[in-house]
Amino acid sequence: MSIAPIGPVGPAIGAVASPAAQGATGTGGDFAQSLTGAVDDLQQLQSTSNQLAVQAVTGNLDDIHSAVIAATRAQVTLEVAAAVRNKGIDAFNEIMRMQA
Amino acid sequence: MTFDAIGIAGTSLTVHRKWLDAIADNLANANTAAPTSGPAFRARYIEAQAGPGTSGVYVAGVREGDAAGRLVFEPDNPLADAEGYVRYPDIDLSEQMGSLIMAQRGYQANAQVVDRARTMYESALQIGRSS
Amino acid sequence: MLDSVTSAALTSALDGLSRRQRAIADNIANVNTPGYHAQRVQFEEALAASVQDGDGRATATTSLSAEPTRTNGNNVNLDTETMSNIDTVLRFQFATQALNAQFTGLRSALRTS
Repeated sequence: MSIAPIGPVGPAIGAVASPAAQGATGTGGDFAQSLTGAVDDLQQLQSTSNQLAVQAVTGNLDDIHSAVIAATRAQVTLEVAAAVRNKGIDAFNEIMRMQA
Repeated sequence: MTFDAIGIAGTSLTVHRKWLDAIADNLANANTAAPTSGPAFRARYIEAQAGPGTSGVYVAGVREGDAAGRLVFEPDNPLADAEGYVRYPDIDLSEQMGSLIMAQRGYQANAQVVDRARTMYESALQIGRSS
Repeated sequence: MLDSVTSAALTSALDGLSRRQRAIADNIANVNTPGYHAQRVQFEEALAASVQDGDGRATATTSLSAEPTRTNGNNVNLDTETMSNIDTVLRFQFATQALNAQFTGLRSALRTS
């Protein structure tokens, strides 16, 4: 977390306007970023889970629980991503219905 | 065969049960006297053989014990001959008891195989079942 | 997605483990048969190599054990077979679970409510 240095005091209206605009684009950018991050995360979790499962069946895994945990994490993350997508679609449809 | 392992264990359960029956019969008749004019009680020994490939085990044949048996001097026995001898079967009790334990152990081990195989097949039947 | 290396590897593992279970059943069935040699099934190394190559399919091979025999020519060790049996059952259950997870994942992605 970075702390910005105190800048010069400018006109009040400009100072009030810019944080609001900054906030709007900030939230939009954050959501898109978090969704992309979640999908990448999911890819990573799936690939880890697959790798551990194959290791377990070829007898190269010492702890079976790590394979089961990885599989469960990937599964749950996928379900969360699917739920977020579904809610997003529902919200979009809701808004479209409002405008019609 | 679909549920192979259970069938294979089943063949062994049959063989071990026949073995147990033969041993029980031998022990029951271990002290059966017979006149010297005829044969003594002949013990039965089961001979097992592995089936071709992986098909378990089956009884290849039954071997019969010595007909001569042991000649024992018992003049008071109603079956005794002119010299007072009777025939007793040639059965080694300790050997039969050892075989009894082996037969029982084999039977138990195969019963456990049936149980474990069933667990495996049940788990296979769960593939693709939607939760 | 359904034909990925992982799915193929898990299916091959299930085949191999099933063959091993049959071999163990045969060994325990013949624990008192004179002259019988225990059967052994191998597939783990072949499977690992196949996964390395990016294929994931491997067939199991059966061989006879060369362990020392008892006086009647039988070399089945009941303790080894029992341990192997329990191990095989557990591995089989894990592999079916992992294979199931592949299908369940797709299903939950398809669900839209």
